[in-house]
Amino acid sequence: MNHKTPFVIKRIVAVSLLLLLLLLITMFIGISMGSTGSGLKAVLQSLSGEKGADSMLDTIVWQIRFPRVLLAALVGATLSLGGLVFQALLRNPLAEPYILGISGGSAIGAIIGILAGLSRFPGVSFTAFLGSIATLVLLLIMSSGQSILKKNTLLLSGVMVNAFCSAIIMFLVSMTQNAKLHNIIFWLMGDLSMSDIGQVGILAATLLPCFIILFLYSHSMNLLLMGNEMAQTMGVNIRRVTTILLVTTSFMVSSTVCHCGLLGFVGLVMPHLLRLILGPDHRVLVPACILSGGAYMVICDLLARLLPQQGEMPAGVITAMIGAPLFMYLLKRSKR
Amino acid sequence: MRYKYLVIVLPVLIFLSFSAGAQAVVKKTTDQLGRSIVVPDNPQRIVSLAPSITEIIYDLGQEHRLAGVTRFSDFPAEAAKLPKVGSFVRLDLERIVALKPDLCIAVKDGNPRAVVERLESLQVPVYVVNPKDLDSMMEAVIEIGALLNAGKKAKSLVQNMRLRIQRVEFLVAKASNRPRVFYQIGISPIVSAGPDTFIHELISLAGGKNLSQGPARYPRFSREQVLILSPEVFIITSMAKGEVFESVKKEWSRWPAIPAVRNQRIFLVDSNLFDRPTPRLLDGLELLARLIHPELFKEEQ
Repeated sequence: MNHKTPFVIKRIVAVSLLLLLLLLITMFIGISMGSTGSGLKAVLQSLSGEKGADSMLDTIVWQIRFPRVLLAALVGATLSLGGLVFQALLRNPLAEPYILGISGGSAIGAIIGILAGLSRFPGVSFTAFLGSIATLVLLLIMSSGQSILKKNTLLLSGVMVNAFCSAIIMFLVSMTQNAKLHNIIFWLMGDLSMSDIGQVGILAATLLPCFIILFLYSHSMNLLLMGNEMAQTMGVNIRRVTTILLVTTSFMVSSTVCHCGLLGFVGLVMPHLLRLILGPDHRVLVPACILSGGAYMVICDLLARLLPQQGEMPAGVITAMIGAPLFMYLLKRSKR
Repeated sequence: MRYKYLVIVLPVLIFLSFSAGAQAVVKKTTDQLGRSIVVPDNPQRIVSLAPSITEIIYDLGQEHRLAGVTRFSDFPAEAAKLPKVGSFVRLDLERIVALKPDLCIAVKDGNPRAVVERLESLQVPVYVVNPKDLDSMMEAVIEIGALLNAGKKAKSLVQNMRLRIQRVEFLVAKASNRPRVFYQIGISPIVSAGPDTFIHELISLAGGKNLSQGPARYPRFSREQVLILSPEVFIITSMAKGEVFESVKKEWSRWPAIPAVRNQRIFLVDSNLFDRPTPRLLDGLELLARLIHPELFKEEQ
């Protein structure tokens, strides 16, 4: 057993470095393209420390695109990791924060917070977190009593929780005369456009500890996947570990929702792809998911920025267009 | 001795000339929200963040200062040829910054506050106007005129508008009644404009009684609510153009109990004359007065 650990570490480091490179490349592409064309030269100039002649391009690249790309990377990392954790804990390959209604619950909380006039941080973040916990509890109550292994019960519960959440959201939107909700429809579709570096910094500061917690528990996730009894004999306190993982994940997801709304199906794509390539070891999968999920979201956001001739589309449209067909495929395959 | 004087006087003179020069380049002002901002004295690259602002700048004859406009800036027609920076509720920050504006002019209602704040953090001065009614619209014209060194033109525009309002008021004062007006903005659901809107103010000034009395600014109605209100004049805006208008008109025609239907007083109007806070609101006012009180205008002709 002892001589195997260094191999795992080596593998983690190798995979992480490779995916970090991928993330950096996509981020570089992300900041060098935008609605006003390519700023490749400005990015290279700034990176090499040269003082660019065009300060306007500099501003666009570093103060408008850079925070946005950073936000996309953080959000993609969070949602992919969220998908990975839910899939492991619920032992269901189709679990994902959006599909389970966790994102919807956060959105309700966030809207209530906005209507109450709270500031984005910590006020709205807190109400969003409460919303996500409420839907999580609802979901667990609905699927408890039966074996949690039953895939369809859980998914169906999620679908219903989601439908209920969107009804409440529409209710709140229709009831209010509040001008603050002007942009809500866009926000609900997943919107990364209004990111400034301060907010991204706060988000990063709240998310990074969660990433670390989840990585520390990645071995427990491996054991949990072998079955509850097996995990218990290996010394895992199932109740405690499950609670910590679920609450941490919900917290992460709710913080991203109040920054950029609902981005669906992000938690499906990368975890599945990575499991296919790297195998089921969560000690490798957790860091891999963080890095590649970030890269995936940066690309989705880039497409959302570049595809429309005028203006831009919400990034959620892109993630759903990629993720939903994958979901259908996985559903079809899992039935066999 | 002389040289000693020079040593003291010269730097002072140089300093004064520099500070005078600096004062000539920028000026401090207060926008309609009461925020004090520093704007260029003679702005050359203005990005207008709403169609109404674009119209006012054209009315003032200052269009040579415009560097960019929003997507639906379609009046006058040549405004549509200017570079676009997104729609006024969905502004494209990157495009705005890329135009290197020395001043942006925004409206409080519609432009997202977050964009204004981000522009300011990027050192782009943003002047916000807040037209809520005819008076504050005219105020906005004066203020934009002052910003663009076109104060004289702005004053004469406003004077002309005041005369036109007085003329309508004078005519409407002779009317014997105030017809009940239902102003339909949205087709499905049926949406009208309540108090605190330009439409409400214009209907009242034009001698009508706006049937939608709030409390919301843009309240929704069911069909039976509209029937009970029994409007005498029905006005539908051109957000529903052509065929849609015909089908909506046909829809209402099924209820001859509505006086407006019986007397064939269902009209289509151009929404841009009623919801954009620009001098064209006066065209809207005169049009409404003609539709609501045709008898007064017959006498006049």
